[in-house]
Amino acid sequence: MIDIHTHPVMIRELVEKDPELARAVREVFGLLFPPQPLEVFLSELDAAGVEQAVLLPLDCTTAHGCRIVTNEQVADLAEKHPRFLGFASVDPAVRDAPKKLERAIRRLGLRGLKLDPALQRFDLDSRELAFPMYQACSELGVPVLVHCGLSWSMVGQAKYARPLALEEVAQEFPRLRLVIAHFGWPWVEEALLVALKYPNVHLDTSIVYSGTPAEALRRVLAERIGLEVLERSLPRQLLFGSNYPRQDIRRAVRGLRALPLSPGLSENIFQGNAASLLALEGGSR
Amino acid sequence: MKSILRRIALLTQRETELIDITPTVREEVERSGVRSGTVFILSQHTTTGLTVNEGLPDLEQDLSDCLERLVPEDQAYRHARFLHSDGQMAINAPSHLRGALLGFQVFFPIEEGRMVTGARQTIYFVELDGPQKRTYVIQIIGE
Repeated sequence: MIDIHTHPVMIRELVEKDPELARAVREVFGLLFPPQPLEVFLSELDAAGVEQAVLLPLDCTTAHGCRIVTNEQVADLAEKHPRFLGFASVDPAVRDAPKKLERAIRRLGLRGLKLDPALQRFDLDSRELAFPMYQACSELGVPVLVHCGLSWSMVGQAKYARPLALEEVAQEFPRLRLVIAHFGWPWVEEALLVALKYPNVHLDTSIVYSGTPAEALRRVLAERIGLEVLERSLPRQLLFGSNYPRQDIRRAVRGLRALPLSPGLSENIFQGNAASLLALEGGSR
Repeated sequence: MKSILRRIALLTQRETELIDITPTVREEVERSGVRSGTVFILSQHTTTGLTVNEGLPDLEQDLSDCLERLVPEDQAYRHARFLHSDGQMAINAPSHLRGALLGFQVFFPIEEGRMVTGARQTIYFVELDGPQKRTYVIQIIGE
């Protein structure tokens, strides 16, 4: 099982020795509970049955003057624990952002780019800021995971995070593999529209708004969209994501397992599609 | 009169886990030098429990299964929402309710420097929302 959406922001070994990171996690990311030892994160993955997890850092230097876990820290975690698959974050507004991204991919071995327009505060369809990042990812052959929809950070602004803005991106960069995080909630239909139309666009299941994961997933995927739509039209574009530590991975897994999905789709969501996206063994067929 | 407080940290490994803490408590009592008094054991968390039972693996599993039956995961709890004071989803109502059933403290008398327990009594720290770093407190009061 692969979790495409985790934030390594509450790891005690990182947070306790870096007061600036502690401040950013609290005031920008908006997590207010005590950090936990790295071992707890690893045990949480074990308890959930997740073998590998994508780690998503966040560089919001321009908007908030901080990096919430650096690319180097993510690379270090991934090197020490191969079950971690590190993504890079580069603020699109900093000078030479595409070059910084290229270095993070080529030198640090990171596997994709995380963008969070709500916190980084840029327009997803900005040709000046965003398009050079898409171009770089397209050339490097790495995917981009984009936060879409509700941002639980109190300084995040969802107006920057509408999934429909990615239609133009999908058209301009036909080889680019995109992941719309959180199914774009509440703009689920926009996210669905883009994914239905463009096979390179994926959706992750970290839908976090109210209720347990089982309730939220049932409401959005089964009742609002319809499981038959997912089975027929998106079998290779759905990815399991927890959004840990905003919610625990165990219950996110159980919530998805509670849906009456076909074994093939379930296998694709939990493993095969992410493996294909990240060029790991065991990709979906 | 002495009052000794010890904080014991542990890392739990599983979602529900019964951890035998009897040897630790017994050792703290004997080390305290208190000959006559009381030892209190308290959890510092609301999604854990403290309980006493016979230390057998089958009973541990029965207790765990019983808690899951009494407080099922798939009920519609009010505590299933974003918790602004934490910045995370509060989706662990079953863990809180199972903890409430077990209680959060136990105590035993101390006589002639030793904890007085029944021969089959085992003190369990019960993880109900693990894995997590947890802390329990041992307070020894006496003379």
